[in-house]
Amino acid sequence: MRRRKEEGSRGERRWFFQRVYALPRLRIALLPVSSRLSVPASVAAPLAVGALVCMAMAFAAGVGPMSLIRTVWSGSWGSPDAAINTLTRMTPLLCTGLAVALAYRAGLLNIGCEGQLTIGALVSASFAVATPNLPGFLLLPITLAAGAASGCLWALPAILLRQRRGVHEVISTLMLNYVAIYLCSYLVSGPLGDGTAMGRTPPIPAGAEMPEILRNGSLFLTAAPLIALLLCFGARLRLSKTVWGFEMRAAGINFDAAVNAGIPAANRQIGVFLGSGALAGLAGALEVCAVHHRFYRSFSPGYGFDGLTASFLANGSPGWLWLSTLFMASLRSADKMLQIGLNLSPNSILVAQAVLLLSVACQGRIRERIEKFSSKVGGSLRKNVSTLQSDRADAL
Amino acid sequence: MFQLFNLIALTLSKTSPLLLAAFGGLLSELSGVINFALEGMMLAGAFAAVLGTWASGSPWIGFLSAILSGALIGAVHAGASLKFRANQIVSAIAVNLLAAGLTGCLLNEVFKVYGTSPGVEALPNLGSILPLTGVPDNMRSLAQGISILMPAALVICIVVAAFLKWTVPGLRLRACGENPEAAAAAGLMVLRIRFFAVCIGGALAGMGGAYISVGELSQFIENMTQGRGYLAVAAVILGRWRPAGVFLAALFFGCGEAVSEWLAVRQPGLPSQLFLVMPYIACLAVLVLYTGRRRPPSALGRV
Repeated sequence: MRRRKEEGSRGERRWFFQRVYALPRLRIALLPVSSRLSVPASVAAPLAVGALVCMAMAFAAGVGPMSLIRTVWSGSWGSPDAAINTLTRMTPLLCTGLAVALAYRAGLLNIGCEGQLTIGALVSASFAVATPNLPGFLLLPITLAAGAASGCLWALPAILLRQRRGVHEVISTLMLNYVAIYLCSYLVSGPLGDGTAMGRTPPIPAGAEMPEILRNGSLFLTAAPLIALLLCFGARLRLSKTVWGFEMRAAGINFDAAVNAGIPAANRQIGVFLGSGALAGLAGALEVCAVHHRFYRSFSPGYGFDGLTASFLANGSPGWLWLSTLFMASLRSADKMLQIGLNLSPNSILVAQAVLLLSVACQGRIRERIEKFSSKVGGSLRKNVSTLQSDRADAL
Repeated sequence: MFQLFNLIALTLSKTSPLLLAAFGGLLSELSGVINFALEGMMLAGAFAAVLGTWASGSPWIGFLSAILSGALIGAVHAGASLKFRANQIVSAIAVNLLAAGLTGCLLNEVFKVYGTSPGVEALPNLGSILPLTGVPDNMRSLAQGISILMPAALVICIVVAAFLKWTVPGLRLRACGENPEAAAAAGLMVLRIRFFAVCIGGALAGMGGAYISVGELSQFIENMTQGRGYLAVAAVILGRWRPAGVFLAALFFGCGEAVSEWLAVRQPGLPSQLFLVMPYIACLAVLVLYTGRRRPPSALGRV
């Protein structure tokens, strides 16, 4: 009798710890983060700094800032063709950006989008080529699902290695990228190719092509950007409004605290990482179904790494990805104009992207500096939590 | 017998750049800064070596500029992650992107070419400086395939290992990575030590890049490091952050690269991608199978 009572009290203590102590603590821990992620404020400052640095570099190369802005604008939004091109480039960035952002919010870094996207693209293209007899309304969704599933499978070893063997997911996804790219390059020039030396699959059947919603000459726009945008806003709602989203964010912010609060943090991380791989695979499938209608060697011009930049530009917030990907896609689709109009190297886009990413990565400190400056100038501006935390680290 | 020597020579020349970069990464990781930027440092070093050689006519000036540019990239990474407290992996990815973009840009602007730079003079090789009289011709050609940087790399590794193990600054560096609070309490400038560690690590990785561009070849090719910097990071992890382990891990990866290149010449029937992918698969396999006690410096990644 006595023993049972003791057990009861122990259980009661655990209950107390989980419901009364740990969970509210976790909510408190989450609070400053949600206010810190007020995206417009936190991204605007580093973006401005990055843009200034880029303009200074362009100036050093002999290009005035106004002509730079004008060229980027006319290359990305100046004509219907350019606008269609920009929106088309935005689609895979939205998907890979969302993939990175979700994993990042769960405390994981998915560098493997490039490989997952390539695998997803090849599998979906080959699937559509192999099953042309499926009815039209089934073929497209199943093709997209095949791409997503294969991306998901390609992400599985990385997260299992992290959970079971303690291998950092950054290193394993990087290696898997190389494996995926070489594997697809082999498959497409051998067993899955169209028999030519071009290194490409046969074109997918018409039923698997994404329906057009807009056409201007030879350029067309499909429903793919809409699908990607819907996914982003769906993810945003799921992240902020559901228990799953709360548990996943908790696992990302403090794994041990989340486990102590009774959250299955490891399972949440596995689920999120698989979803992230599926999104990257879907990006490849969408690219096949909506743009190229086949898979070919060196398929992705770095969409995986661009997704990384886009998601950090949006501060890991799916609700703001549309803005950061719009920005990056505009830069990307203006690269030809930069080369022809201003005689800048196409690689300068990479430099601009790197400078932006660097300044966004440094955003905490840059914002702090600006706040300090403005509070000196404009009177009392509230110091935020991150400043307090960083002051403690400054003492080091 | 000759085939064996050929394989050994190939292994040595493939291992050296990895070894230099991995020891650079080891320095910075032991001081507490995650260094995924090795790839960018190597690429910058490779390009600067060609640029310096092209501009001055002497490969040694090119080698020096590779060291400087590697240290410069290291300074960017260290500045972002220490001074501005950026996420060290994100900052490293940005730095790698920056190196890829800048080298490509400068290649187009300075040399007015796309993809591949014009050839420049390479560093001397073992065949041209050793007195090889009375040695068979095929052995001499093997010696000519090994750059003078190969023995230099071995010496540098030993120096770095000795520095870390037996000198006071080496102890201080390791203290910054293990317990920065205690190191700060003992009067060390933790951030400054880390900054220098990352810069010197960058210089070593830059040397590794120079080995690839003016040691092994005599030109720069866009994105020519092809993930060797990431292999170097893997070597640091695999070597459990100990000099001897890192040496063995780099040797293993170098051996993988050498075997795949050696096989690619002898088995033309097999798909070329199989050989290209071998080092990465070897890396993954070892990370999976090798479950020894893996303990990074306790303050790694914490600022």
